[in-house]
Amino acid sequence: MKNQVLKLLFIVVSGFTSTTTIAQGNLEIEFKHIVGKQPLVLFDSLYTNNFNEPFVVNKLKYYISNITIYNNQIKTVKNGYYLIDASNSSTHLINIIASTKNIDAIEFTIGVDSLKNTEGVQTGALDPMNGMFWTWNSGYIFAKLEGQSDSSKAASNYFTYHIGGYKNNENALQNIHLKINQPITNTKKIIIDVNVLKWFDGATPLRIAETQICHQPGKLAQQIAKNYASMFSIATVEE
Amino acid sequence: MKVFTTILILIGFAFIGASFIVIAKHKTTPLKFIVPKGWPKPEYNFKKNPLTVEGFELGKKLFYDERLSKDSTISCGSCHQQFGAFATYDHNLSHGFNNSLTNRNAPALQNLAWQKEFMLDGGINHLDVQPLAPISAENEMAETIENVINKIQKDTAYRRMYKAAFGDETVNTQRTMKALSQFMLMLVSSNSKYDRVQRGEDSFNLPQRLGYEIFQQKCVSCHKPPFFTDFTYRNNGMPLDKTLNDVGRMLITRNANDSLKFRVPSLRNVMLTFPYGHDGRFFGLSNVFDHYRTKMQPIATTDSLLKNKLYLSNFQIGQLTAFLYTLTDSSFIKNPLFAPPGYYTTPFIHNH
Repeated sequence: MKNQVLKLLFIVVSGFTSTTTIAQGNLEIEFKHIVGKQPLVLFDSLYTNNFNEPFVVNKLKYYISNITIYNNQIKTVKNGYYLIDASNSSTHLINIIASTKNIDAIEFTIGVDSLKNTEGVQTGALDPMNGMFWTWNSGYIFAKLEGQSDSSKAASNYFTYHIGGYKNNENALQNIHLKINQPITNTKKIIIDVNVLKWFDGATPLRIAETQICHQPGKLAQQIAKNYASMFSIATVEE
Repeated sequence: MKVFTTILILIGFAFIGASFIVIAKHKTTPLKFIVPKGWPKPEYNFKKNPLTVEGFELGKKLFYDERLSKDSTISCGSCHQQFGAFATYDHNLSHGFNNSLTNRNAPALQNLAWQKEFMLDGGINHLDVQPLAPISAENEMAETIENVINKIQKDTAYRRMYKAAFGDETVNTQRTMKALSQFMLMLVSSNSKYDRVQRGEDSFNLPQRLGYEIFQQKCVSCHKPPFFTDFTYRNNGMPLDKTLNDVGRMLITRNANDSLKFRVPSLRNVMLTFPYGHDGRFFGLSNVFDHYRTKMQPIATTDSLLKNKLYLSNFQIGQLTAFLYTLTDSSFIKNPLFAPPGYYTTPFIHNH
C-alpha cells in the first residue's frame, strides 16, 4: 500500500517536472569578438581595416536566431531570438539543451524572420526598447556596427551601419553554417570567433571613406549583410 | 496508512485550490468590438490582443499622458484631438518637442481596426508598433521607449492598472503598446448622417443628394466607402514642397515610381480635419477643390485618374461640400468614452 502511494506520488511529481528520455545535455555557445587577431575592446583600441582605414568600434549588436545543432543523426533546433551585445558579456553566452554527442555543425540565422517583423510589438530580446527596431519604417535592425574613423567624412567622424530588411526585395537575413572539423564525443561548449573586420571585406568592399551611414533596408544593407555573414568561425570546441 | 492517503488527498485539494486562486486573481471585463453593419472584417487580429475594459482604460490614460514625451508637454492627445476627429485641429503641421514642427499633417484616428499600414507613407506595418514612431521622433515627443517605460513603472496608479489589465504589475513595451492599441481600436466612426441615410434612418436634403451623386462620379474611386479611402498610395499632383522634401511612399519603398505618393486620406469627419493635404498646405476645402480643377501639377507618377486634372464646376463644388458635411460624426467626437480619464468631453488640450 505504502509503495503504491509512493509510486503514485512519483508519477504525479514527474508529471509536473516533465522529464525527457532522449540523451541530451547542456551546450554552451560563446561568441568571442575580435578584430583580426586582436580582441575587440569598445571605445578604446584602434584597429585598421584592409583599406588602411583606422577605426574605433563603439557599438556592435546583432540578433541570432534559429540555432540548429547537428551531429551524425540528430538535428536539434532551438527556437528563440538572442541579442548579442559586445558591450554586455552576459549576452555572449547562449545555453541550450541539445544532443551533445559528436556535434559536427552549428547553424544559425543573423536577424529576425519576417513573421516577427510583421506581427506587432514583441517582448524580451525583441523588445523595441533594445534599440534594434526601426520605428518609422517597421522592421528589426538585424545587426549594428558603430564607431569612429579618421577616414569618415560624417559628423564627429562617425560611421553607423544599421542593417536589416525582411521584405522580399530587400531581405538581409543571413544563414550561417559552421562545420566542426574534429567533432568530440561529448561537446559541452562551442566557442565562435566573431571577426569585426569582415564587415568591410567581401564581395562588396565597404570603405569607411566612401560609406559612413546605412540606416535603412535596401541594396547597401544587403551587401553589408553578405559581408558580415563571413565574420563567424569556430574557434574551439570543448568537452 | 490512512495518514498517507489523507495527506495525498489534501495535497491534491491544495493543488486544485491553488489553480483556482491563480485563475481568480486575474479577472478582466471583456470589451465588445462591434463591426458596423455591412462593413468588412477588421484587419486587426483581436485574438492576439483581446479587448478588455481594463486594457482600454489603461490605453486611454497612456494616450492622454504627457509624460510619454521628453519634457512632459505632449501626449498622443495633443495632436490627435477628439474634437478634431483625432487629427490636429486647425494646424497644417503638428507641434513637437522644443518648438519643432512635424513634416506632415496629423491624420484623423478613426476606424484603425480596418487599416493594415500606418502613416501617410505606409511605413508602419502594425497598429501595435505605430506609437513607437511619434514617441521617439525628435520632432514629436522626442522620448526614448526606455524612459517611457521607466516613468510608467515608477507610478503606482499605472502599476495597478497594468495588473488589472494584464494580471501582474510588469510594465513593458509590449503591454504598453497593446493597451494603446485597445484604446485606438475603439475609435470607430460609423454614425454620421451619411451612415444613418445608408441605414434608412435619415434622408439627404437636395444639395446633399446631388453632392452624393457627384461624389460617386468624381471621387469614389479613391475615397471608397465605408472608409472613404481605398488605403492605396497615390500622387494627386501636389508639387514637392522644397522645404520639407517629403517624397512620401518612396521613402519606404525607395522606388522612384512611388515618388510623391501618399495614402488616400479618409474623408470621414473631413469638415473637422482641415487643413488638408499630407503637409496641410490647403487651408480649406475650397483650396482642395481649386487644386483638383486647376492648380494640380501632374508629373510621371501622378495618378492616371488625374492626368487631365479633375474638372469641377462651382455648382458641383457647392453640392459636394453639402455632401461632405454629412460625413461628420458628432457622436464620435463627443463620445465621453474617448475623453481623457475624468472628463466627460475632451477639453481643449494643446499646450503650444
